Amino acid sequence: MPDEQTLTQREGASTAPSQAASGTGLELKSLTKRFGEDVAAVDDINLHIAHGEYVVLLGPSGCGKTTTLRMIGGHEEPTNGDIVLDGESLLGLSPDRRPTTTVFQHFALFPHRTVRENVEFGPKMRGISKAERREKAITALDMVGLSALADRKPSALSGGQQQRVALARVLVMEPKALLLDEPLGDLDRLLRLRMRVELRALQRQLGLMFIHVTHDQEEALSVGDRIVVMHEGRIEQVADPFTISNLPENVQVAAFMGDNNIFEGTVTAHEGERVSIDGGEAELRVLAPESDAAVGQPAAVSVRASAVQVGEQAAGANGPNQLLGEIEVVEYLGDLVKLHLSAGGRRLVAKVPGDRYPQFRGKEGSSVRLSWKEEDVRVLRA
Amino acid sequence: MRRGRWTKRILAVYFVLFLLFLYGPMIVMAALSFQGPQGAVTFPMRGLGFHWWNELVNGSRADTIRETAIRSLELSVVSGLVVAVLAFSLSMGYRRRFRLDGVLFYLIMLALMTPGILLSLGTSFFWRFMETETSLWQTALGTNVVWGLPFAFLIMVAVWNRYDSGVEEASRDLGAGGFRTFREVTLPLVWTGVLGAFLFGFTLAWNEYDRTALLAAGDNTLPLEIFALTVGSVIRPDLYALGTATTAVSLIGVGLFLFVAAIVLRRRARSVEPREEYGELGTDGTGVPAGAPASRSR
Amino acid sequence: MSESSGPESRPGLHVEEIVEAEQVVGERAPEEVALGEKERAGARGRRALTTAAWTAPGAVWLLFFLFAPVLMIVLVSFWTRTVSGFEAVWTLQNYEFLFDSNIYWDQLWNSFWHSLVIVVLALVLGFPVAYFLAISVTSLRYQIALFIIALAPFWTSYLIRAVAWIPMMGRQGALNTALQEVGLIGQPLDILLFSDFAVTVAMLQLYILFMIAPIFFMLAQIDRSSLEAARDLGANAFKTFREVVLPQSMPGIVIGSIFVFILTMGEFATVRIIGGGTVSSVGTIVQTQVASVQFPQAAASAVFLVLAMVLGVFVLLRFSNLREDL
Repeated sequence: MPDEQTLTQREGASTAPSQAASGTGLELKSLTKRFGEDVAAVDDINLHIAHGEYVVLLGPSGCGKTTTLRMIGGHEEPTNGDIVLDGESLLGLSPDRRPTTTVFQHFALFPHRTVRENVEFGPKMRGISKAERREKAITALDMVGLSALADRKPSALSGGQQQRVALARVLVMEPKALLLDEPLGDLDRLLRLRMRVELRALQRQLGLMFIHVTHDQEEALSVGDRIVVMHEGRIEQVADPFTISNLPENVQVAAFMGDNNIFEGTVTAHEGERVSIDGGEAELRVLAPESDAAVGQPAAVSVRASAVQVGEQAAGANGPNQLLGEIEVVEYLGDLVKLHLSAGGRRLVAKVPGDRYPQFRGKEGSSVRLSWKEEDVRVLRA
Repeated sequence: MRRGRWTKRILAVYFVLFLLFLYGPMIVMAALSFQGPQGAVTFPMRGLGFHWWNELVNGSRADTIRETAIRSLELSVVSGLVVAVLAFSLSMGYRRRFRLDGVLFYLIMLALMTPGILLSLGTSFFWRFMETETSLWQTALGTNVVWGLPFAFLIMVAVWNRYDSGVEEASRDLGAGGFRTFREVTLPLVWTGVLGAFLFGFTLAWNEYDRTALLAAGDNTLPLEIFALTVGSVIRPDLYALGTATTAVSLIGVGLFLFVAAIVLRRRARSVEPREEYGELGTDGTGVPAGAPASRSR
Repeated sequence: MSESSGPESRPGLHVEEIVEAEQVVGERAPEEVALGEKERAGARGRRALTTAAWTAPGAVWLLFFLFAPVLMIVLVSFWTRTVSGFEAVWTLQNYEFLFDSNIYWDQLWNSFWHSLVIVVLALVLGFPVAYFLAISVTSLRYQIALFIIALAPFWTSYLIRAVAWIPMMGRQGALNTALQEVGLIGQPLDILLFSDFAVTVAMLQLYILFMIAPIFFMLAQIDRSSLEAARDLGANAFKTFREVVLPQSMPGIVIGSIFVFILTMGEFATVRIIGGGTVSSVGTIVQTQVASVQFPQAAASAVFLVLAMVLGVFVLLRFSNLREDL
């Protein structure tokens, strides 16, 4: 299992030494895709993925994650750059000649063929004998629990079952890299939650490289060994889920991951290790030893919702890292309570343990005091 | 991927050649209609001018042509109306399953596949057997409608497929009775289909020969007249002018329909379609997650 | 937590949990959903009456103007000829005459072959057009626009289009002139008009749209991503076509072939105009007999067409895919 990486990886930075040197795995080098003159769907991406890793490409629609995946799979040709798998470039190779296989968002099953024939398709294209393909198909269908439905056509299957067929179809190919394009997007929520756990377990069992594209950040956190957050064609941050969650690098990542309160303002003071920032409704003081921020410079910081402490209004709010806010909505989610607050027009989120719910029930409209520690303030790159 | 692009290019060239094959004769005919008085049936072009168009409108055969054209127009308009009404009502029935829906469907498809000559022959036999004198309106109207009906029916079925019956339920929920709902909700949403059905009925009747041929008994429609002029007598360029004119009428009819449909569809798309964008970064800083899309049942 | 049969170490999904989740969610197959919706709106007592009311007008019209005429033809073919037409006296002499007539069988055979050739040509020449429109063209807007442009001639008088071939194909026609100008031929080609070839070309132009439209319709329903999936799984362009595109277009091919075959068999106007009397079809045979007031005879000749039609519908019945429209 890859080490917890507390170092974040920025685009262009060199990859962890141990992986790059061996020459195995998937390497994206300066990968660029332009549609037309000016629009770069994917802009100069550099990334290394090791075999056995579960990597998630995460970002809003239009950020280039799907295009990147399609380029790896061979369904799009890059405008610039290279894709190297185990030392060999994949450029110019059509999808049928690449050792990658894709699970499509809408499953892309062959409607005129039965489930079994769908799964046997890949081996058939490889010229494998009828008896052997049959066997392989049965094994794959067993893996996904659909042997009983092998002779049905896709239109006779539910969405979840169709997705499992898509999985079986792909697994039977034993690819070097499994590409998943929003694989859970078409499923009902409950099924999504179930299937993402299954995907994770499956990947562990098989030890295959999984590259999974999604815009659901909870899904990304749940399954990924490493998450690649993308925005407008570029990589914003690459790190393990814990780092991405707690140590976002810039405004895009912090905002997209959700549950972050972002303050943008100017630096008011820089004394020793501490930087003070005027963030509008609140003054923030952050512990930032490496910062070279000068007074007057713009700055952005974020505070995790779970780091926000909620207390009685009566205590007042003077000094840095605290402010008064009004409760707008109280969301009880079982293990925790999410408070949606507003302070001077801006919206904030705080998370408190679930057993504090009685304290907030029915308290919409009342004022509370919000505060947080200066260690919990995270400086964001612009 | 490069190979895919070449396929597309070759196919595109083939498509253009195909269009030339389809439209070529009509273009040639149109060109020849603009010859001068020396003009003949084939190339080369002799002179240039509106002589033959003038001949068409004012010449010796002009009167019969005008008479048949008007007859054709009347027949076609009525055909179109009947087709629209029948197609609409048939398709309304098909919004649900019912016992004979398979049989009826094949009957409708049969209308598509029956050669016109069988229809006109059979119909003429039928009335002869009944020993009744008939006019175009009892015979040709019937068979022309039969021809246009399956096309119009398929259009209406497609319209109903896209139609969300939920709006009717919503309308009732809000207090509108059956008829009111029909008039205020259903009709406005499907009228373009009905218009399409009418146009199909109209243009198909306007051009129909086979199904009218053995039924006219002297009262020619335009296509019948054209046939007579072609086979029975000397072909002159005024016939080409006539041909060009009738083609123009057909194409204008189609063009009109598309124009109307495009406008309606564009207006509807802008107002009704939900925005597909999700996961935007505009989370206004409160940390509301850029969540997953609503589940879609396949 | 249970696993599918086998030792602990075998990879696989935890099927029981997944199925449980599916049940909570109420997942159903699309087929069931569609069926369920229709059943809900299904005929129940009063509803059945409404449906009958809606479908009655159209059904009656068709029975009267479609079913009855065809039935009439079959009947008249068994009746006797009179000076003014026919009378309802049963006889088999019309068929006897037919079976004795060599000319009729020759012409029938010719007509049959002719139509078959046209079907094959329509398929070979028309399929690439349908493919281009349905699959190569990716923008929906262009697809619709080009489809309309390709189909527009359908709404013009096919008679006109037939007539228009004369200036194209005649001795001094556009094609001959062009070929001579370019130097490909020295003398005008005679076979371009008033020949089997000419009739074939003209009929092709008139009816190829009946082949293209159904094929286009089927191809347009193919999920693009399933083509990508085929490539992904190791199929090259040709194999993708053979294994994924072609099978799914088959219903369209069958329907188109049936249409073109039957319609060209019954053709007579074009044959007359372009063939100029040298070529015949079942249609011209019938028409000639009608012209000479031999109605029962004409009916008997036409019966062959009726049989072809019935056969066609029967084959169509096998492909119930068409019902999926509804």
